[in-house]
Amino acid sequence: MDQSFLEYLDLLELLLFFSGYPLIYLIVKSITETAWSKKVFKTNISNFLPLAYAITGVLYVGLQVKNLYPDFSSEHIQSAVQLPYLKLWALLSILFFIPALSKKIVISFLHSLVFFFFILKDLYFYLTGTLLLESVKNDMNIYSLSLLINFCAFVFMLITFLGVKKLRV
Amino acid sequence: MKQLKNKLQLLFVVLISGFGYIVSCTHDNSFPPPQAPSGFVPTRGTNIHTPGSMTAGNINEWKLDKVHSSALWSTSYVAASGLLTGRFNQFGMHDVTTPKMLNYVTNGQPLLDSSWAFYEADPTKTYFNGYVQINTSNTGEPGRDAGCNVAGMGTTPIVAGTQNLTVTNLAKIQTTKVEYDLLSNDYIVTLNLTWQGKLAAPLTTSIVGKLKYVPKANVNGTYDVFGLQLKFQFNCRDYGITSTSIADKIDIECNMNFHNK
Repeated sequence: MDQSFLEYLDLLELLLFFSGYPLIYLIVKSITETAWSKKVFKTNISNFLPLAYAITGVLYVGLQVKNLYPDFSSEHIQSAVQLPYLKLWALLSILFFIPALSKKIVISFLHSLVFFFFILKDLYFYLTGTLLLESVKNDMNIYSLSLLINFCAFVFMLITFLGVKKLRV
Repeated sequence: MKQLKNKLQLLFVVLISGFGYIVSCTHDNSFPPPQAPSGFVPTRGTNIHTPGSMTAGNINEWKLDKVHSSALWSTSYVAASGLLTGRFNQFGMHDVTTPKMLNYVTNGQPLLDSSWAFYEADPTKTYFNGYVQINTSNTGEPGRDAGCNVAGMGTTPIVAGTQNLTVTNLAKIQTTKVEYDLLSNDYIVTLNLTWQGKLAAPLTTSIVGKLKYVPKANVNGTYDVFGLQLKFQFNCRDYGITSTSIADKIDIECNMNFHNK
């Protein structure tokens, strides 16, 4: 199989997990600033964003482990893994479980912008006539799913927090 | 200032995303769905076929070619999944009115097969009558045909050399309306089926069937032929048939061939 095609598939996986985060991040940040949010949640819900992002990272790692299973030898990893630097960058998302890092919410946003950039890039190339419409359609389908994944991860974190808070009370 | 910055960022990402969705929602490269059918275009001719007096040698008068025609029936055999089929050996195309419901001592057709007319381009003028002698049902099993079938259909056994057109042995059809089938070159026929079956008196039910016209063709430059194929169904329980060996629904197929010899 063509190497560039395998790279493309790996890039789609990355976009699937991370490209939707910036929009979710900005929407949540906007909601957080409203009086309604403060009244209902009684906390700054945007604090959960990095943790939700880290959960998405865990899901991505899970997919990579599944793809490599059962051969975890270095040879197999070397041959199977495309775009290693980008994947390494994606794996760094797990670090947002570290409290010191998760407090810097904006870093998770900056981290995910790398993946959003690929969507932006494809749109630009489409406008300049160097990319087919099918690629943009594919990107937007993946982007929609990414929004869903990141939204679900955030809702999961929010429900977990509210549940724990209620139990403590 | 910080809020404004956030809103600007949100606006930017939303615009980019929205633009992406709008671009990808176009169907420029999609194959359009196949065009919806614009309606069936019939290819019917203008042939007119009538029996007249059925004078031999008159090429304008059409005669029923009984030897090459058939009146077939079929129904599901209840005890198994297959079909039970048969045919009526004696049938004709005459309007058998009550005074004509008699025993005819003949081996040929008891009545002239002249109660019909077919207008290919004007179905309102098309009509036909037909009948079968119930006791001539032939399933290929003489023991059944002359045995349980006779009592089961409420009729009497065949008498050699006699055509039994009495009321208990007669099932007849008479068209009440013939119209174009809008989806094919065929015709939709509404007809009355009259049969006594195992009832105390004959029963007439209105049935819708389909008529297919097999256009006129020449045979070796000597004479012409054409065919009419009529298919319909009826419920034998309406006529008091209680046999548990056959299903309720009976399919009838009449293949009538005509020539102008």
